[in-house]
Amino acid sequence: MAGKVASAKRKRIINNSIVHVILAVLAVIWIFPILWVVLTSFRAEKGSYVSTFFPKAFTLDNYVKLFTDTTILNFPQMFANTLFIAVCSCILSAFYVLSVSYCLSRLRFKMRKPYMNMAMILGLFPGFMSMIAVYFILKALGLTEGNLIRLALILVYSGGAGLGFQIAKGFFDTIPNAIDEAALLDGCTKWQIFTKITLPLSKPIIIYTVLTSFMSPWLDFIFARVICRANSDQYTVAIGLWKMLEKEYIDSWYTSFAAGAVLISIPIAGLFLWMQKFYVDGVSGAVKG
Amino acid sequence: MRKNKIAFLLTAALMVTGLSGCGGTTGSASQDQEDIRLMVWSPQNDQSKDRGEWLQTMCEAFAKEHPEWNITFVYGVADEAGAAGQVAQDPEASADVFMYANDTLTTMTDANALAKFGGKYREEIESTNSQEVLDSLIMDGALYGVPFTTNTWYMYYDKSVFSEEDVKNLDTMLEKGVVSFPFTNSWYLPAFYLGNGCTLFGDGTDESQGVDFGGQKAVDVTNYLIDLENHPNFRIDADGSGIAGLRDGSINAMFTGSWDAAAIEEILGENMGVASLPTYTLNGEEKQMLAYAGSKAIGVNTNSRYMVAAVELAIYLGSAEAQKAHYELCGVVPCNTELMEDELIKADEVVLAQNNTFNFTSILQPFVSKMSNCWTPVENMGKSIRNGTVTHENAAEQTEAMNDAMNSDGI
Repeated sequence: MAGKVASAKRKRIINNSIVHVILAVLAVIWIFPILWVVLTSFRAEKGSYVSTFFPKAFTLDNYVKLFTDTTILNFPQMFANTLFIAVCSCILSAFYVLSVSYCLSRLRFKMRKPYMNMAMILGLFPGFMSMIAVYFILKALGLTEGNLIRLALILVYSGGAGLGFQIAKGFFDTIPNAIDEAALLDGCTKWQIFTKITLPLSKPIIIYTVLTSFMSPWLDFIFARVICRANSDQYTVAIGLWKMLEKEYIDSWYTSFAAGAVLISIPIAGLFLWMQKFYVDGVSGAVKG
Repeated sequence: MRKNKIAFLLTAALMVTGLSGCGGTTGSASQDQEDIRLMVWSPQNDQSKDRGEWLQTMCEAFAKEHPEWNITFVYGVADEAGAAGQVAQDPEASADVFMYANDTLTTMTDANALAKFGGKYREEIESTNSQEVLDSLIMDGALYGVPFTTNTWYMYYDKSVFSEEDVKNLDTMLEKGVVSFPFTNSWYLPAFYLGNGCTLFGDGTDESQGVDFGGQKAVDVTNYLIDLENHPNFRIDADGSGIAGLRDGSINAMFTGSWDAAAIEEILGENMGVASLPTYTLNGEEKQMLAYAGSKAIGVNTNSRYMVAAVELAIYLGSAEAQKAHYELCGVVPCNTELMEDELIKADEVVLAQNNTFNFTSILQPFVSKMSNCWTPVENMGKSIRNGTVTHENAAEQTEAMNDAMNSDGI
């Protein structure tokens, strides 16, 4: 009897060890590129090619250079541009997505089904297919020059948000209708139900929406490139980082490129960490009894 | 409250554009000065404060020379390689005057966006440039830009390792030190094939003649390249490994262009040597390596509203005076024939090497549209030799396959 217990225990230990070793190896492989970028951003040797994985000397100069050497590639300006665009389009598109989802989940109107079908079909096409058309429309509106480029980019990033309602709508569908009805009986309007009842119960999905709608403008390259064209004062970080890898700049800017890559991950990581606590406790305890 | 503010800002911004759209046409021709708005694109380097704002300085000097015009300059950033794409995307909203690399010429002529220079302007350009440089910008008899520099690659080496006699032959160099070459880059690798009599589109302009990278002459080169790749003192330069090797001393010579000159000078200091391409020894005979060469030029948009001013500005930006300033401020190697006689410029090794390469050890990079089929097969040849899939046994067959691929439109 005792022998059996011992052997079962041993078996479990062996199993666990194997699993952990595999997981550890996978974790290392997964972390590897990130670690490499972080190490490169502190590397003191110049150039894009190194023969060793670990830098021979460490420095903060790459970060300093990003913010002080602004005559060729103005990183602070690009960072500010991108942050402004991302924050604005994040607010706008999160609002669009949540409103559309709420309407489609709670309201009944004639165009509801056709709209959902249309959104489904439009969603099958990649967005950058319309890139050149979007550019010419914005040009016709006079939004492709000067500071208005920022407005143009905000419009581009948030304009199509209403089509991405599926996940949030699915979530709203799970909130019992009884809550809405109770609120209606107490005299709430639809808007009040949305803001005072539904939204507070849907924190996880709001966070998901905010994060995704912040990240797409923050990381986008292709639209920014087509719309900014030669207006270097309007460049976003994605264009700036790409510029650093051109053959004229790569040798002196490569390590700063890595530093820039580390820096752009900070707002996303910060946003995620701050919002993470709201993930817990979504609908639990909404309906008593 | 905050949302309101943003909404207000957006509406205000929209209204401002609406208004400015209407106000543009009034208020001109009050004096005898003509109001002119010129959009100028150049690489960021030319506009950077560190480098003395070459473009701004030149444009202001140009405005001073022409008091009959009241010019407003609008500057934009587009490097020579990328300008063609930007201009072709929307010629109407592109710069009046921009800089481009000559291999992108057809991109813009296809979009009908590149103006031809004729009459006195053409004569002026022709009088200050060599025929080779002009050829790089002439298509179907029309001249499409004002050249301001040549664009090619050559050799940088460590003077403490190689003597001036050594750098004349690649095989001699390999005996004395470590040489790195961008073996897997199809802008560089054809140098060996071209050196042994292979040709591209006849003299580079006749599409119907096709590519001749086949036959025994090409097979010999492939065999030479296999031996070269296996040479203990040879390193393939890829992803910046060449300049990194130069930095840590493991490599003594590399092939690149003027864009790396400053970094190499910082590494090698007084030991920096620059030379045009060496020869290589093929079956006992010396063959001259031949680089692809092109030029960079200032182009004028056909959609420009102020054609005369735009053309005048382009000529000015490509003049001897502007090229001299370009060289002094940004290190752009000039190509103006008068400037070549300048003692100070003549003494610069990089300028000398670039011009020697352009004049003697290069061919004009063809810009016929079939040229686009020629890049991938050569790159694959370099990679296959590196990977060991091309050997002396199958060299003939593989070379023929490369030649076929270069002559076909398939992907």
